[in-house]
Amino acid sequence: MSTSSSSPSSDEELIFNPNPIPKPIDDELTLASLTLTESNGNGSVGESDRYGGAGVVLEAEREGEREGPSSPSSSGYAGERGSSSEGTSNSRIGDEDDDGIQEVINDHDGFVDGVGDSSPSPSWVPGKRHVDEDDASISWRKRKKHFFILSHSGKPIYSRYGDEHKLAGFSATLQAIISFVENGKDRIKLVRAGKHQVVFLIKGPIYLVCISCTEESYESLRGQLELLYGQMILILTKSVNRCFEKNPKFDMTPLLGGTDVVFSSLIHSFNWNPATFLHAYTCLPLAYATRQAAGAVLQDVADSGVLFALLMCKCKVVSLVGAQKASLHPDDMLLLSNFVMSSESFRTSESFSPICLPRYNPTAFLYAYVHYFDADTYLMLLTTSSDAFYHLKDCRIRIEQVLLRSNVLSEVQRSMLEGGMRVEDLPVDPLPRSSMPHRLSQQRILTQSPEIFSESIVGIGGPTGLWHFIYRSIYLDQYVSSDFSPPISSPQQQKRLYRAYQKLYCSMHDKGIGPHKTQFRRDENYVLLCWVTQDFELYAAFDPLADKAVAIKTCNRVCQWVKDVENEIFLQGASPFSW
Amino acid sequence: MPSRRRTLLKVIILGDSGVGKTSLMNQYVNKKFSNQYKATIGADFLTKEVQFEDRLFTLQIWDTAGQERFQSLGVAFYRGADCCVLVYDVNSMKSFDNLNNWREEFLIQASPSDPDNFPFVVLGNKIDVDGGNSRVVSEKKARAWCASKGNIPYFETSAKEGINVEEAFQCIAKNALKSGEEEEIYLPDTIDVGNSSQPRSSGCEC
Repeated sequence: MSTSSSSPSSDEELIFNPNPIPKPIDDELTLASLTLTESNGNGSVGESDRYGGAGVVLEAEREGEREGPSSPSSSGYAGERGSSSEGTSNSRIGDEDDDGIQEVINDHDGFVDGVGDSSPSPSWVPGKRHVDEDDASISWRKRKKHFFILSHSGKPIYSRYGDEHKLAGFSATLQAIISFVENGKDRIKLVRAGKHQVVFLIKGPIYLVCISCTEESYESLRGQLELLYGQMILILTKSVNRCFEKNPKFDMTPLLGGTDVVFSSLIHSFNWNPATFLHAYTCLPLAYATRQAAGAVLQDVADSGVLFALLMCKCKVVSLVGAQKASLHPDDMLLLSNFVMSSESFRTSESFSPICLPRYNPTAFLYAYVHYFDADTYLMLLTTSSDAFYHLKDCRIRIEQVLLRSNVLSEVQRSMLEGGMRVEDLPVDPLPRSSMPHRLSQQRILTQSPEIFSESIVGIGGPTGLWHFIYRSIYLDQYVSSDFSPPISSPQQQKRLYRAYQKLYCSMHDKGIGPHKTQFRRDENYVLLCWVTQDFELYAAFDPLADKAVAIKTCNRVCQWVKDVENEIFLQGASPFSW
Repeated sequence: MPSRRRTLLKVIILGDSGVGKTSLMNQYVNKKFSNQYKATIGADFLTKEVQFEDRLFTLQIWDTAGQERFQSLGVAFYRGADCCVLVYDVNSMKSFDNLNNWREEFLIQASPSDPDNFPFVVLGNKIDVDGGNSRVVSEKKARAWCASKGNIPYFETSAKEGINVEEAFQCIAKNALKSGEEEEIYLPDTIDVGNSSQPRSSGCEC
């Protein structure tokens, strides 16, 4: 049976607000898995440790039916008959005891990012891996997090691992489960099977499924499926729905040809990019005047018929401007920059490509002019006119001239190298704001020799055991995250911290129980402190031995520090929602 | 990887329980046959790659349960099928008589755009049993029915002996493919900013 994923009892949880601790389980979810269990009669939903929704509906019944001990030969999951193609079908059983394990022991979740800058390092190989696998491979089954997209007729559209066509049987099984529940005038949301969660998202004729044993919450995984769907809409618009209406057997894989890399890069970013769960964007730290200069020239082109103009450096915003009344959602920015950054062809030449912003208008295309100024910095000009290429090219040339003249591009490069806010730099005794207008840049001068500096603080983190923080400005729809520094230095540690933040975010935003104002949580890894007000949300991680009163005091100092340098770390006066 | 376009075909196998749907599929995909009868529960799924006129296809075969109590799997189950295979047992008149019901049921549930030309294939299975002595449905009778339903291709098969199985599935693949030829044209819109009814993100209407 389904069990709640409440945190280990060893955790020390203290909440100093009137509301009780949110239990990370949703009544609705429990219902979903109950529905399934009941219809099967023997409740093997939660008992099955094997993944694969495959077993859930169909096999449960099978077990009730047979006299002898049943072998799992039904469903796309079965080793024996799960997915066979000529020449390979005989070796299935043997496979299971041999290889695959070592592969699995490695970091199969693919998190090997660079330290400090939160963006993929060259060591992360873009594109789909393990294409040779299918649902009969033990290595495939052991992967911690699968994502699938399929059509309502059960035809595979995308799988994170393995070849879609070889997984056709598995995809059919998923569709059968969804169809079975749908037939009972119900909708499947979640199946728990041992450590695994199978999360379903139904978007008209498109079905999205995540199978995960990462202990992320249902809300997080569902949010990730929503983004995956948004990414698909960004590439194709919702017009694909019409194709399915006219022809249910419509196969949309040809339309998505070559976009594997876009999806895999998005899935990878669930591990390292807090924008994926904060629904906010982040800016590259820059002097106020520099960002103003960039904004001014973007505003010029926006007045000449460009809907949105964005200047970005990797996944961070340098400046952005929208035409009157047009609003850009942070999720759209995330999906757009992921699309541009993951597609190699944008880097090599100026491009003009149809794209759809799912939060702006999911039904229709805009056109994006994309140009890279250097390896990391790129300009995106969005327009509604399909023949605006030459106009936008002229705009770009104008923008480039101004950016070069006002040294914006070199400032961007400098900021990239210098990094952002570091917990070690947290001012010990905040001075009145007026006397320290440019705190961030002044601090940089003091810490010119980073090697020596970071050596001296290994294992210590910032003052009072502060290891990391994220500050999200609600009004601006922006967040700022401190650079990673020891002891949160390995990619695995960073991923773990983000997952902990993610969980914290979900519990703070639980609509059923919240809203909460503060949460203090101690476990064997960290002390986590979250503070939500009308204006901001602060997420901070401390040494697990940190003192509570000191931690709260430190959080106040972080907030003051952010306020002191807000002109450098945020794009001011240009909230996407305030034009 | 610039891969050639691959096509996936959804093939649904229908027929009374015990006529040999699963055995046919197993013979085709795994080249195996078992005399032991195991009822299919709900559905089984198999995939098989086939080559046809130098193109590669993946057959996604939906082997359904024949028992009536599993018919609740419903509309969505049949949705988007490229071909439907109707199977009966040449030694059972009832299984032959029921072909009509299976065909009608499929057309109602799947509601294909052009029901008169939807590709079916009929297989008369178990021709090996008792050297053909227990046979009750003649080939002539079966062919006549197929002809009356718009010339449905007909094969006499033995899943046990592997007779005609390969040929039948070749035909299934060919027919499924034919029906998939007229693809929908994907015609997305472009945003017209002048259009005031355009949906916007929430939170900006102030």
